[in-house]
Formats: sequence, C-alpha cells, structure tokens
Amino acid sequence: MAFPDLYAAGIASGWNIIDASTLGAPRTLEADVAIIGSGAGGGVAAEILSLAGLKVLLIEEGALRTSDSFKDMDEARAYGELYQEAAARASSDGSIAVLQGRTVGGSTTVNWTSSFRTPAQTLQHWAEQYQVAGNSAADMAPWFGKMEERLSVAPWAQAPNANNSVLKRGCDALGWEAHVIPRNVKGCWDSGYCGFGCPANAKQSMLVSTIPVALQHGATLVHRLRVQQLQLSGGKISGAIGVALKSDGRTPSGVSVTIKAKHFVAAGGAINTPALLLRSQLPDPNQRLGKRTLIHPVVLTLAVMPERIDGFYGTPQSIASDHFQWKDGATGPMGYKLEVPPMFPGLGAGVFNDFGDALRKDMADFPYSNALLALLRDGFVAQSEGGSVRLAADGSPMLDYDLSDYVWDGARRAYLSMAEVQFAAGAKQVRPAHLDAPYYASWSDARKGIAALPMKKFRASLFTAHLMGGCGMSENPALGVVNSKGRHHQVANLSVLDGSLFPTSIGANPQLSVYALVAKNATALAQELQS
Amino acid sequence: MLLRQRPDTEFQRIIEGLAGTHNPSRREFLKVGAGFSFALGCAGALGALGGCSKESKAPAKSYAFLEDSDLALFGALAPAVVPELAQLGAAERARRLGDVLHSVDAKCSALGLGSQQELRKLFDLLAIAPLRYLLTGVGAWNEAGIETLQDFLARWRSSRFATLNSGGNTLVKLIATSYYILPATWPASGYPGPLASLYQAANS
Repeated sequence: MAFPDLYAAGIASGWNIIDASTLGAPRTLEADVAIIGSGAGGGVAAEILSLAGLKVLLIEEGALRTSDSFKDMDEARAYGELYQEAAARASSDGSIAVLQGRTVGGSTTVNWTSSFRTPAQTLQHWAEQYQVAGNSAADMAPWFGKMEERLSVAPWAQAPNANNSVLKRGCDALGWEAHVIPRNVKGCWDSGYCGFGCPANAKQSMLVSTIPVALQHGATLVHRLRVQQLQLSGGKISGAIGVALKSDGRTPSGVSVTIKAKHFVAAGGAINTPALLLRSQLPDPNQRLGKRTLIHPVVLTLAVMPERIDGFYGTPQSIASDHFQWKDGATGPMGYKLEVPPMFPGLGAGVFNDFGDALRKDMADFPYSNALLALLRDGFVAQSEGGSVRLAADGSPMLDYDLSDYVWDGARRAYLSMAEVQFAAGAKQVRPAHLDAPYYASWSDARKGIAALPMKKFRASLFTAHLMGGCGMSENPALGVVNSKGRHHQVANLSVLDGSLFPTSIGANPQLSVYALVAKNATALAQELQS
Repeated sequence: MLLRQRPDTEFQRIIEGLAGTHNPSRREFLKVGAGFSFALGCAGALGALGGCSKESKAPAKSYAFLEDSDLALFGALAPAVVPELAQLGAAERARRLGDVLHSVDAKCSALGLGSQQELRKLFDLLAIAPLRYLLTGVGAWNEAGIETLQDFLARWRSSRFATLNSGGNTLVKLIATSYYILPATWPASGYPGPLASLYQAANS
C-alpha cells in the first residue's frame, strides 16, 4: 500500500480509541477535560491540552474514517459517510444547502484546504462592536504563525487548475485584485479530491495532525457517540450524558455513556454546539444562545468555457479575489470574496438544478463548465443579523436563516461580478444558479438580465459550507454567550472552542481562524487547569 | 432542498386558486391552515368523503424512509428529470432506477427530524390522488407521460408560491444528484473517474 494508514499503526501501538457502537453496556468515562467534537476546534484543543499533560477525552458523533477508506475517491461514499445528514443538510425551510463534515476531524477532513488569517478588519470590528478583548491582529499574529507552521500552511506553489485559472484570468483582464490561496497540505498530489477525504494523508486535517498527537499523549478518542446533554449542578457542569450510536452512525444503540470531567469543551461547530447548550438548558439570561448564526451565504454563477476545464481535477481552490470584500469598509454594502468550487458530477447536477433536456445539456457540457462562488460576508451590520439555531422535537438542531434586502443586494452584485469575470476570461455563456436566469451570451446581456432577477429564496440557489456564531464571544455578557477566551459567562467549567465563538462571519474560509483562536484559548485553559 | 410551513395565507391562496380552477365546491374544505400540514388536514377531510386517504405508513421493503407510494412518485419522475433513463434497455434502466431510489432513500434517512417531517408532508401530499391532481395535474403516476410530469415540475418551479418552488426544486435535485453521482452515468457527464495517478498510488 502506497499510503500507510496512520490509525492502523496507531491502534497497534496502543492508542485509546473506542467505537461506541461496539459498547454492549452502559459505561462511565472520566478525564480532566472532555472535548465534544473533533473538528478544527476540538482537534487543536485536544493536542494542546494533551501536550500539557492533561487527560483528554475527545468525543465525536461521526465515525472514525481514515485514509484507507478514502482510497475509492468516490463522491457518493464521501457524502454518505463524511458529511452531516449525508450532505443533504439544509436550513429549516430547505432554501440553503449546508455542506458540513461529520466524522473524526469534522469539516477539516472534507474541506478544500483554503487557510486564511482572520482579516484585520474583522478583528477590529469585533473589538469595536462586540467588546472582544485580547484578539487584535497583533495579538493573533503569533497564533496564526504557530498554526500555519503546525499545519504546513503556505500559498499554493503550483499552477492553478483550469477552473481556478478562469478566476485569475478574468480578474487580471479587469484589473481586479486576485491572490493565491494558502493551503494546509504536505506532499499534496494536486488531485482535487480534498472533499472526499485525502487518500494520501497530504491535507493536514485534524484527522492526520493534531488528533494523532493527542492520542500519542494519552488522549482517548470516542467516536459514534452523540452527547445529548450537559448536566448543570451548582453553576458547573457535573457531567454529560452520551448516546452510543449503532454502526450506521445515526440510530441510538440504547447504550448510554456517562462522561465525568473537571472541564468541558463544546466544539461541535456552529449548529451542533448551540444545539447541545440549548438541549442542556444552560443559563442564557440575555437570550444570546443560538442567535447570530453566520453562514457566509454562497451564490454561484456557471459558465461554459471554450476550453476544457475538467473542474474535478486539480487543487479545488487556489485563487481568490477580495476585490469586493472591503471596498466600502466593514459596514458598507455587503462585501464578498470570490472563489471557485470543485466540479464533480453529483455536486454539479445539484448546482445546475435543471431537469429534462436542459439538464442533459448541462451535463454534456460538464467538462467545459466553470463555476464561480461568492462568500457573502454576513453579520457586520444591523440589516444582517444572521440566523438562529433551534431544536426539533427530538432535540436535533434546525437552522433558521432569512435574507434581508441588504443581503439580497450583495447577492445580486456578486452575480454581476462573477458573470463579468467569467466573460472577461472568455466564457461563451454564463448563467447565475437561479431558476429564472437563462444562459447569457454576453456581459451586456448578463448585466441587463441579472439586474432584473427576482432575488428570493428557492429562486436563487443558496449554499453554505461555513458555519459560524451562535455562541458569540464578548466581554459583555449582554452581547455574548462566552468571553473572549471562550469561557461561558454563566457556567464555570465550560468553554466553547469552535467557530460558534465568532461574533460575525470571518470574510474568508474560516478554518485557520478557528485553529488560531482555539490554540490561543486552549493554551490559556491548559495553564489555568494546571495551576 | 426541503420545505417548511409557509405563512397561512400563501398556501391558502394556492389551494383556493387551484380549487377554484378545478372544482369550486371543494373550496369549503380548503380554507384555513398553513403549508403542507394544512393540505394534509384537508386531504383527510377529502379522503373521508371520497374514500381515498393515504394508508401506507411503513417504509417499502429494503428501504428505510421511502414508502411504496414514494417509490411510485420517484419511479415516474426520474425519467422526467433524466430523459436518458427512458432510453436505456429494460435491465439497465431498472438497475439505474433502483440505484437512484436507494440513493434518494439514503439521503432522506440521514436527514434530521425537522427535514424528514417536511419531506414526508410533501411525499404524502403527492400520494393522495385528488390533491395530487389538484396541485400537479398528474393522475396515476404510472400512467402519466413524461411531458405531463415535466409540465408539473416546470409549473411548480415557476409558481409565485415559494412552497411549490421548494417542492419542485427538492424533487429535481434529489433525482438529478442521485443519478449523476452513479459511476454508470459518468460517460454522460464526461467525468473520467478518479484521477488515475493518485488512484493507482493509493490502491497499489
């Protein structure tokens, strides 16, 4: 086998890994720190706390899937096994598709590796508007540096694939800013299969970086275990109740697991962490919990290019443009970052959202298809408060998210920018991913057509892969669930260490923002717990 | 890709509009409520009168979420979304359709409760013959021609009602993504399959 599976070797060397689906009887697990969620936040926290000598229990609802199970490089297997709700997760009204990981390593196991520092404008906005302390660009710089080094983050040094080249060429022709994306990879094959789990262990996801180090230092990983509730007693979390899942990873097996720890870390991401705290009925005197969920709403345009694009092959994201990101400052009309998504047949068929002969033609043109996406920077003004997380009858999370005229205006301008770039790069025809948009044959047609599109849910296709907020941080308990270090304002031994901390969206793919903020906060937590 | 209850007035307008067109005497049963749950309440009333309520409540054999009536729905709609299916030989067509149905079933089974409940409402609504005819113009699924089915999808997706847009998008996307993700369909999308160099290295 060309790529050794880290976990096969690790388990042989004595790593503590429990597959909760194999438990036949109730069990109690004890640790210094219990971390709930093994994604960007949980993975970094597990490494730092384990290296500090603390006994760590890392709990994941999804299954442990490793490079051996990624060898088929298959889209259907990946969506079914590695994503929340088999990649069919959506906002509660079904208008926004949600791509989010659910496996050991969380979304880092399936993301497209883009690794940006939190923009200075965003950090400044947090300090000014949300009373976030100690997280200025200068404060954060060493933590970004530390995590970039830890995860081999560097601007992609090879040529962009044809899909990304469309964005670069179009921006260059128009004189717009564009830059090479930094990526967390080591020995990357430039294959394009980041979203299905890296078969070469090249992507420095939590699965292959921090979690193995934590396991080498005595941490215990429990997977297929859903934490149902944190138990509050005298202002502290006294324990947690977990529900073991069957091997399908979804159905409770009937076996419960009790978790005891001195400190608890919620790191399930911005949908599942607020849901856990809501299920636990933790104090929320200012009604902040599960509010201001930010998602970087994504809109797309599709182009048919004269040349082959083969958007399935090659590094999925290597070029981005911030030309429209801060043009009007942090609080002007909505800013957005331009990128491309990889193009695989299943994902592509969903984005085309056509049927009959139109769909057949879309798919016949698929190798010539380029898509651009805009990440809309939500949460910076009063007209963009984000969404909220609430619970279904069984305690599972639901995300409500509505779009104001302010956000729709950003979406329309993003359609215009993307169509202009695609035509500038030589597109034969372009259409927004919108029910009412035909293919436009020229930029002037597109400009007229897009100006008249009805901007409404279900007519405009909307996506998100970046879940943020819902347990926002602030030194002021009236403005946030936790303080600037991620410590819960009302519960003494509970930290939130994941993307749900963010008071606004980031304005860039968020993984490095999570890594650096959690590294800083987990280091402080380790010092406190050891003293 | 799923549905939530729309404000009361919207679905009321949909139903009243359609009822007015097709059969004004039904309007009495179709006045109040919200979204698809409202429509199903009415379906109960219609069923009691007409003897045609939906009875099945268990997943079909070898399925986890889809019921027999849902299989009829997707079996009919699949060739309307993917015309290529209708042109295949019987054996290959049955194989691919089976793969699509199981893929749709797996997606539905993986959804959270809130989404599953909305999907169930949509599928149940379309399983009740009088309501289906009222809302889609389709009689029996297995007798409807491709054009009738495509007209239904086009009408729902171009409707001024978001609830119908959502339902139309959901049905189209479930089928289209489930079909084109199948390796057997890669020739139709020009996807050559996993990148050979890495695939060989990983599987050597």
